[in-house]
Amino acid sequence: MITHTQPKRSMAPIFWLLFGAGGMLSALFGPALIILTGIMIPHGWGLPAGFGDFTHVLAFVHNPIGKLVVLAVISLFFWHGAERMFLTLKDMRAGDLSLLRLATYGVAALLTLVTLALLLAVGF
Amino acid sequence: MSEHRPFHRAQPRDWWAHKPYLGYTLRELTGLGVALYGGILLAGLVCLSRGAEAFDSYRRFLASPLSLLIHLLLLAVMLWHVVTWFQTMPKTMPKLILGGRHVPQQRLTVLGVLLAFVCSAVLIAAVVAVGGLS
Repeated sequence: MITHTQPKRSMAPIFWLLFGAGGMLSALFGPALIILTGIMIPHGWGLPAGFGDFTHVLAFVHNPIGKLVVLAVISLFFWHGAERMFLTLKDMRAGDLSLLRLATYGVAALLTLVTLALLLAVGF
Repeated sequence: MSEHRPFHRAQPRDWWAHKPYLGYTLRELTGLGVALYGGILLAGLVCLSRGAEAFDSYRRFLASPLSLLIHLLLLAVMLWHVVTWFQTMPKTMPKLILGGRHVPQQRLTVLGVLLAFVCSAVLIAAVVAVGGLS
Protein backbone atom coordinates (compact mmCIF):
# COMPACT_ATOMS: atom_id res chain seq x y z
CA MET A 1 0.00 0.00 0.00
CA ILE A 2 1.30 3.43 -0.86
CA THR A 3 0.80 6.12 1.74
CA HIS A 4 1.24 9.75 0.81
CA THR A 5 2.66 11.74 3.65
CA GLN A 6 3.71 15.37 3.58
CA PRO A 7 7.46 15.75 4.12
CA LYS A 8 8.23 17.36 7.46
CA ARG A 9 8.74 21.09 7.04
CA SER A 10 12.13 22.35 8.10
CA MET A 11 12.92 25.61 9.90
CA ALA A 12 16.41 25.62 8.37
CA PRO A 13 15.63 27.95 5.39
CA ILE A 14 14.52 30.71 7.80
CA PHE A 15 17.80 30.55 9.74
CA TRP A 16 19.70 30.30 6.46
CA LEU A 17 17.97 33.45 5.13
CA LEU A 18 18.80 35.43 8.31
CA PHE A 19 22.38 34.13 8.12
CA GLY A 20 22.70 35.22 4.48
CA ALA A 21 21.15 38.65 5.10
CA GLY A 22 23.47 39.28 8.06
CA GLY A 23 26.47 38.00 6.13
CA MET A 24 25.80 40.26 3.15
CA LEU A 25 25.00 43.33 5.30
CA SER A 26 28.18 42.87 7.36
CA ALA A 27 30.31 42.16 4.28
CA LEU A 28 29.15 45.34 2.52
CA PHE A 29 28.98 47.78 5.44
CA GLY A 30 30.63 46.04 8.44
CA PRO A 31 34.14 47.46 7.94
CA ALA A 32 32.76 51.01 7.60
CA LEU A 33 30.54 50.57 10.69
CA ILE A 34 33.46 49.39 12.85
CA ILE A 35 35.69 52.24 11.59
CA LEU A 36 32.92 54.80 12.23
CA THR A 37 31.42 53.68 15.58
CA GLY A 38 34.57 52.15 17.08
CA ILE A 39 37.40 54.34 15.81
CA MET A 40 36.45 57.65 14.13
CA ILE A 41 33.46 58.82 16.20
CA PRO A 42 34.84 57.98 19.72
CA HIS A 43 38.20 59.65 18.97
CA GLY A 44 36.80 62.55 16.94
CA TRP A 45 38.98 61.61 13.98
CA GLY A 46 37.53 63.26 10.87
CA LEU A 47 34.29 64.03 12.69
CA PRO A 48 33.16 66.73 15.18
CA ALA A 49 33.78 65.78 18.84
CA GLY A 50 30.05 65.90 19.72
CA PHE A 51 28.99 63.77 16.73
CA GLY A 52 28.31 60.64 18.81
CA ASP A 53 27.05 62.30 21.99
CA PHE A 54 23.85 61.42 23.85
CA THR A 55 21.53 63.93 22.14
CA HIS A 56 22.71 63.11 18.61
CA VAL A 57 22.52 59.32 19.04
CA LEU A 58 19.13 59.64 20.80
CA ALA A 59 17.84 61.72 17.87
CA PHE A 60 19.08 59.01 15.49
CA VAL A 61 17.21 56.20 17.26
CA HIS A 62 14.10 58.39 17.68
CA ASN A 63 13.83 58.43 13.89
CA PRO A 64 11.86 55.41 12.56
CA ILE A 65 14.43 54.81 9.80
CA GLY A 66 17.22 55.07 12.39
CA LYS A 67 15.40 52.47 14.52
CA LEU A 68 15.12 50.15 11.51
CA VAL A 69 18.84 50.52 10.72
CA VAL A 70 19.86 49.77 14.33
CA LEU A 71 17.49 46.78 14.54
CA ALA A 72 18.68 45.36 11.20
CA VAL A 73 22.39 45.74 11.99
CA ILE A 74 22.30 44.37 15.55
CA SER A 75 19.84 41.49 15.03
CA LEU A 76 21.10 40.30 11.62
CA PHE A 77 24.72 40.35 12.89
CA PHE A 78 23.59 38.13 15.80
CA TRP A 79 21.67 35.74 13.50
CA HIS A 80 24.68 35.52 11.18
CA GLY A 81 27.02 34.61 14.04
CA ALA A 82 24.44 32.20 15.51
CA GLU A 83 24.13 30.16 12.29
CA ARG A 84 27.92 29.93 11.85
CA MET A 85 28.44 28.93 15.48
CA PHE A 86 25.59 26.39 15.43
CA LEU A 87 26.88 24.59 12.32
CA THR A 88 30.51 24.68 13.52
CA LEU A 89 29.72 23.43 17.04
CA LYS A 90 27.54 20.73 15.45
CA ASP A 91 30.47 19.65 13.26
CA MET A 92 32.73 19.70 16.34
CA ARG A 93 30.14 17.47 18.10
CA ALA A 94 30.31 19.94 20.95
CA GLY A 95 27.06 18.77 22.54
CA ASP A 96 23.41 17.90 22.30
CA LEU A 97 21.79 19.56 19.25
CA SER A 98 18.88 21.12 21.14
CA LEU A 99 21.36 22.59 23.64
CA LEU A 100 23.45 24.00 20.77
CA ARG A 101 20.32 25.48 19.18
CA LEU A 102 19.42 27.17 22.47
CA ALA A 103 22.96 28.57 22.86
CA THR A 104 23.04 30.01 19.31
CA TYR A 105 19.58 30.59 17.77
CA GLY A 106 18.12 31.04 21.25
CA VAL A 107 20.60 33.79 22.17
CA ALA A 108 20.09 35.53 18.79
CA ALA A 109 16.30 35.43 19.21
CA LEU A 110 16.48 36.74 22.77
CA LEU A 111 18.86 39.59 21.88
CA THR A 112 16.68 40.52 18.87
CA LEU A 113 13.70 40.90 21.24
CA VAL A 114 15.84 42.93 23.71
CA THR A 115 16.96 45.25 20.87
CA LEU A 116 13.36 45.68 19.69
CA ALA A 117 12.15 46.41 23.24
CA LEU A 118 14.92 48.98 23.85
CA LEU A 119 14.22 50.72 20.54
CA LEU A 120 10.55 51.05 21.53
CA ALA A 121 11.45 52.06 25.11
CA VAL A 122 13.62 55.04 24.04
CA GLY A 123 10.51 56.51 22.36
CA PHE A 124 9.92 58.26 19.06
CA MET B 1 26.26 -11.08 11.81
CA SER B 2 24.85 -8.04 10.09
CA GLU B 3 25.73 -7.47 6.44
CA HIS B 4 25.84 -3.74 7.05
CA ARG B 5 29.24 -2.90 8.48
CA PRO B 6 30.22 0.62 7.32
CA PHE B 7 33.83 1.67 7.73
CA HIS B 8 34.37 4.50 10.19
CA ARG B 9 37.74 6.15 9.99
CA ALA B 10 38.95 7.32 13.38
CA GLN B 11 38.73 11.10 13.61
CA PRO B 12 40.48 13.01 16.41
CA ARG B 13 38.23 15.28 18.47
CA ASP B 14 40.33 18.33 17.57
CA TRP B 15 40.17 17.77 13.80
CA TRP B 16 38.96 21.38 13.35
CA ALA B 17 42.23 22.80 14.77
CA HIS B 18 44.40 21.21 12.06
CA LYS B 19 44.91 21.53 8.33
CA PRO B 20 43.06 21.20 6.02
CA TYR B 21 40.12 22.14 8.27
CA LEU B 22 41.78 25.09 10.02
CA GLY B 23 40.82 27.49 7.20
CA TYR B 24 37.19 26.42 7.55
CA THR B 25 37.33 26.93 11.33
CA LEU B 26 38.85 30.42 10.98
CA ARG B 27 36.22 31.39 8.40
CA GLU B 28 33.39 30.22 10.67
CA LEU B 29 34.91 32.03 13.66
CA THR B 30 34.48 35.37 11.85
CA GLY B 31 30.76 34.90 12.64
CA LEU B 32 31.66 35.23 16.32
CA GLY B 33 33.47 38.53 15.59
CA VAL B 34 30.47 39.87 13.65
CA ALA B 35 28.14 38.93 16.53
CA LEU B 36 30.53 40.47 19.13
CA TYR B 37 30.44 43.76 17.25
CA GLY B 38 26.62 43.55 17.31
CA GLY B 39 26.96 43.06 21.08
CA ILE B 40 29.05 46.24 21.44
CA LEU B 41 26.34 48.18 19.57
CA LEU B 42 23.62 46.59 21.74
CA ALA B 43 25.57 47.62 24.89
CA GLY B 44 25.47 51.19 23.54
CA LEU B 45 21.70 50.95 23.06
CA VAL B 46 21.29 49.66 26.63
CA CYS B 47 23.33 52.62 27.96
CA LEU B 48 21.39 55.05 25.73
CA SER B 49 18.07 53.86 27.18
CA ARG B 50 19.43 54.42 30.72
CA GLY B 51 20.13 58.09 30.16
CA ALA B 52 22.88 60.61 29.44
CA GLU B 53 25.15 59.58 32.33
CA ALA B 54 25.22 55.90 31.38
CA PHE B 55 25.78 56.76 27.72
CA ASP B 56 28.70 59.05 28.62
CA SER B 57 30.45 56.21 30.45
CA TYR B 58 29.87 54.00 27.36
CA ARG B 59 31.49 56.73 25.24
CA ARG B 60 34.43 56.95 27.67
CA PHE B 61 34.98 53.22 27.22
CA LEU B 62 34.84 53.58 23.41
CA ALA B 63 37.53 56.30 23.61
CA SER B 64 39.87 54.06 25.67
CA PRO B 65 42.96 52.34 24.20
CA LEU B 66 41.47 48.92 25.11
CA SER B 67 38.39 49.67 23.01
CA LEU B 68 40.57 50.87 20.13
CA LEU B 69 42.51 47.57 20.27
CA ILE B 70 39.27 45.54 20.34
CA HIS B 71 37.87 47.44 17.37
CA LEU B 72 41.08 47.05 15.35
CA LEU B 73 40.93 43.28 16.00
CA LEU B 74 37.23 43.21 15.05
CA LEU B 75 38.05 45.17 11.89
CA ALA B 76 40.67 42.55 10.90
CA VAL B 77 38.12 39.78 11.54
CA MET B 78 35.46 41.68 9.56
CA LEU B 79 37.83 42.14 6.59
CA TRP B 80 38.56 38.37 6.61
CA HIS B 81 34.77 37.83 6.66
CA VAL B 82 34.43 40.09 3.58
CA VAL B 83 37.05 38.10 1.62
CA THR B 84 35.80 34.64 2.62
CA TRP B 85 32.15 35.68 2.13
CA PHE B 86 32.76 36.54 -1.51
CA GLN B 87 34.96 33.46 -1.97
CA THR B 88 32.04 31.30 -0.83
CA MET B 89 29.26 33.21 -2.64
CA PRO B 90 30.05 32.02 -6.23
CA LYS B 91 30.07 28.40 -4.98
CA THR B 92 26.54 28.75 -3.54
CA MET B 93 24.89 30.24 -6.66
CA PRO B 94 24.12 28.81 -10.12
CA LYS B 95 26.72 29.20 -12.84
CA LEU B 96 26.60 32.79 -14.08
CA ILE B 97 26.56 33.10 -17.87
CA LEU B 98 26.80 36.61 -19.38
CA GLY B 99 26.71 37.11 -23.15
CA GLY B 100 27.13 33.37 -23.71
CA ARG B 101 30.29 33.26 -21.60
CA HIS B 102 30.74 31.59 -18.25
CA VAL B 103 31.86 34.11 -15.62
CA PRO B 104 34.66 32.46 -13.59
CA GLN B 105 34.22 32.21 -9.79
CA GLN B 106 37.39 34.14 -9.09
CA ARG B 107 36.10 37.17 -11.01
CA LEU B 108 32.87 37.15 -8.96
CA THR B 109 34.98 37.10 -5.78
CA VAL B 110 37.02 40.11 -6.94
CA LEU B 111 33.84 41.99 -7.97
CA GLY B 112 32.21 41.24 -4.62
CA VAL B 113 35.18 42.50 -2.60
CA LEU B 114 35.31 45.63 -4.80
CA LEU B 115 31.57 46.21 -4.24
CA ALA B 116 32.11 45.87 -0.46
CA PHE B 117 34.98 48.38 -0.60
CA VAL B 118 32.80 50.88 -2.51
CA CYS B 119 29.84 50.44 -0.12
CA SER B 120 32.00 50.94 2.97
CA ALA B 121 33.87 53.93 1.45
CA VAL B 122 30.58 55.61 0.42
CA LEU B 123 29.12 55.12 3.92
CA ILE B 124 32.20 56.64 5.62
CA ALA B 125 32.27 59.53 3.11
CA ALA B 126 28.55 60.21 3.65
CA VAL B 127 28.91 60.26 7.46
CA VAL B 128 32.00 62.53 7.25
CA ALA B 129 30.03 64.84 4.91
CA VAL B 130 27.11 64.99 7.38
CA GLY B 131 29.62 65.70 10.18
CA GLY B 132 31.15 68.53 8.14
CA LEU B 133 27.73 70.12 7.57
CA SER B 134 26.69 69.97 11.24
